[in-house]
Amino acid sequence: MQISTEEMPGGITRVVLDGRMDIAGAAAVDLKMNLIAGSAKKLLVDLEKVAFLGSMGLRSIVTPARAVKSRGGTVVLFAPNEMVESVLKTSGIDTLIPVRHDLDAAIAELG
Amino acid sequence: MRATLTLENGMTVPDQSLTNPDPAWPEPRLTLKSQLEDLTLVWPWVEAIADRYFVPADTQFAIQLCLEEALSNVIRHGYQGQPNQSVSVECAPAVENEGAGELVFIVEDHAPPFDPLASAVDAPAPATASLQEFPPGGQGIRLMRKFASRLAWQQLPNGNRLTLAFAIPQSLSPSVP
Repeated sequence: MQISTEEMPGGITRVVLDGRMDIAGAAAVDLKMNLIAGSAKKLLVDLEKVAFLGSMGLRSIVTPARAVKSRGGTVVLFAPNEMVESVLKTSGIDTLIPVRHDLDAAIAELG
Repeated sequence: MRATLTLENGMTVPDQSLTNPDPAWPEPRLTLKSQLEDLTLVWPWVEAIADRYFVPADTQFAIQLCLEEALSNVIRHGYQGQPNQSVSVECAPAVENEGAGELVFIVEDHAPPFDPLASAVDAPAPATASLQEFPPGGQGIRLMRKFASRLAWQQLPNGNRLTLAFAIPQSLSPSVP
């Protein structure tokens, strides 16, 4: 599981997750995700390269998203594959964090 | 060389590989210790099974998802963090007459009786108003209900048995030459 960040125009922090967000993958990114969430105001979580998402992985996304939102920030989930999106929808998290497949739409969502 | 399944009309039969294992084939049973680290053994095991039975990528995703949930539930909640306990998962193909069938995974533990399917958590998504209220737990059962085609729980004399079945598309079934 790889994680990298990129600062985009407009104060957006793009965090790119790459790999499997299973229990091991979630453990591998948790610390960095929480560090990023500690300072990001507009967080774009790029899921395009996430091949798998389990409930532990879901938690690794929800917890930092909650931290950003609790400070008045915004979060968007970007470009999950069909199965990953199905996990997001089954959990209901898509109703609380917007999911966008178009980068412009994702950026617009962050305000 | 891969053997084909022996089929009898209208009957569910075990794959011959289970009785005549080939080293290149995955073991039909995986036994884990009650520690979350051991879950890393599940992925390659399921991957080998998926290769063996021509399981489509989406179904493999569903199997990985459900087994991760089922096994981590046993380790975290069933055994409540006790080390040196064991949980096993066995894979058995169930093939029907027409060649369509399912892959059945049977998870067995020696933990106190707990029926995860009796949980109040059901398929619909939580009606929470905000992210702050999003439930930290309960997702596992909801995900298993969605991604497995069949789930069953049975209390054993000294533990639990959870059966998870996943449909294999007819065209990709191993019974098709």
